[in-house]
Amino acid sequence: MSASLIIPTLVSPVVVSLFVPAIFTGLIVGLIGLMAIAYQKNDLSALILTDIVGIGMLILVAAVGTDLAEALILPGLVVELAEILAISEILMSREMKKKGKSAELIPLPLSMDMEVMTTAPTFLAIILIAYGAFLSGFTGGAVAGGGILVYVLSKRMRGVPADTWEGIAGVSGIAWCLWLVGFLLFFVFPQYWLLALFLAAFGIFIKVAFKAGLIGVIGREEFSKK
Amino acid sequence: MDITILGQQLLGYIPLGDIVLYLAPLNLFMFASTLAFTTIIAISKTETQVEADFGTLKDKEVKVDQKEFKIRRFLAIVCGLATAGAMITGDLFNFILFVCLIGIVNIGIVAAVKQVDVLDAAFQYGLVAMIAVLPLFGGAAMILASAGTISLLEIVNIPTTFMMLFGSLLLFIGVAGETGVAPFYATKAEMFRTPGSPFLLIIHLSSLLVIVRVIEILLIINKPF
Repeated sequence: MSASLIIPTLVSPVVVSLFVPAIFTGLIVGLIGLMAIAYQKNDLSALILTDIVGIGMLILVAAVGTDLAEALILPGLVVELAEILAISEILMSREMKKKGKSAELIPLPLSMDMEVMTTAPTFLAIILIAYGAFLSGFTGGAVAGGGILVYVLSKRMRGVPADTWEGIAGVSGIAWCLWLVGFLLFFVFPQYWLLALFLAAFGIFIKVAFKAGLIGVIGREEFSKK
Repeated sequence: MDITILGQQLLGYIPLGDIVLYLAPLNLFMFASTLAFTTIIAISKTETQVEADFGTLKDKEVKVDQKEFKIRRFLAIVCGLATAGAMITGDLFNFILFVCLIGIVNIGIVAAVKQVDVLDAAFQYGLVAMIAVLPLFGGAAMILASAGTISLLEIVNIPTTFMMLFGSLLLFIGVAGETGVAPFYATKAEMFRTPGSPFLLIIHLSSLLVIVRVIEILLIINKPF
């Protein structure tokens, strides 16, 4: 059998023997999801239950258990999320057409007014951004972006000036260029690897942190509608 | 057994790192025809439907407004490019991702229409497409597990095992569900009852070409001759 050719000997036989049970688990999860979809009558429940079938797909891909499979789970998850977003959007627009009403893309509670939202966000945002800068790279960018997001969503009640968003989006673009330049330096001049590493790390840090700018652009469009 | 089936000749490779595209007359022909059709779609305008009422003279025009037209044209071009990519790729997983992209974009093309029954059909098609992700990815993962690679140029040289056969069966079910051919065509036929014809035709074209291509891929994997 050719199987012994492919699997390296250092993989324990327990792991190898888990493959077929994992395949069956994935298929059974999918079947359970299909049966549930067949029984129910509500459209929204059908959409949510379809996600169970998607989880069965993830089990099947994960059963392979190599690093290639790990790289393939991510596109699988993205496809799954994209499809569920598209279908839920269709469901929403259908219901809006039926009832004749419309809803916001991001329904934010505008009337919410709490004291903690005016006093705490600056402090929280500074701590999160400082910690993110200390971490640097993708993780730091996510932490600092969370800080900016807390600040923005809290201050949104008072109204954030529109020019700020344009500036943030511009800085994000420049930081992305830094990241690209850093990556290019790795290949062209490997002897300057430290410079390239720092360019890439802080470029992606600023880039990910200012992803919140996108939310600002969407929010501004929602404002201008009114 | 060579990578070229059905008496084709291999014209060359395009090695891009891990991703190796191979050029054979069938693939090149389908690639070029998809690109040509996409170009025609990109420069064309939509049709206007007339809904006639029986027994009266109250004919009603159903038009597509400017904003919806732009979104649809963009999505139709994306669908055409994804189909062209699926025609020429030499990697099983890239093919699957292109097919999934076609499925999502097909939902998107009809998502902005005003007719409620068309939206209903699009919703049902979306559910089938989402369920079909399980056999699609599962089949490819099984082929990867049993062959050890997802490059079609390597799979040609590996003798077919039972798991590869089972995986390719699942793969075929998945592609059938994702592109909405029989036995899942009922909802897809309903989706065409909306104005905006040239953009809707790319849905047809993509599913036809993807079916031809998946048959070629299954012949390569299973080597029946």
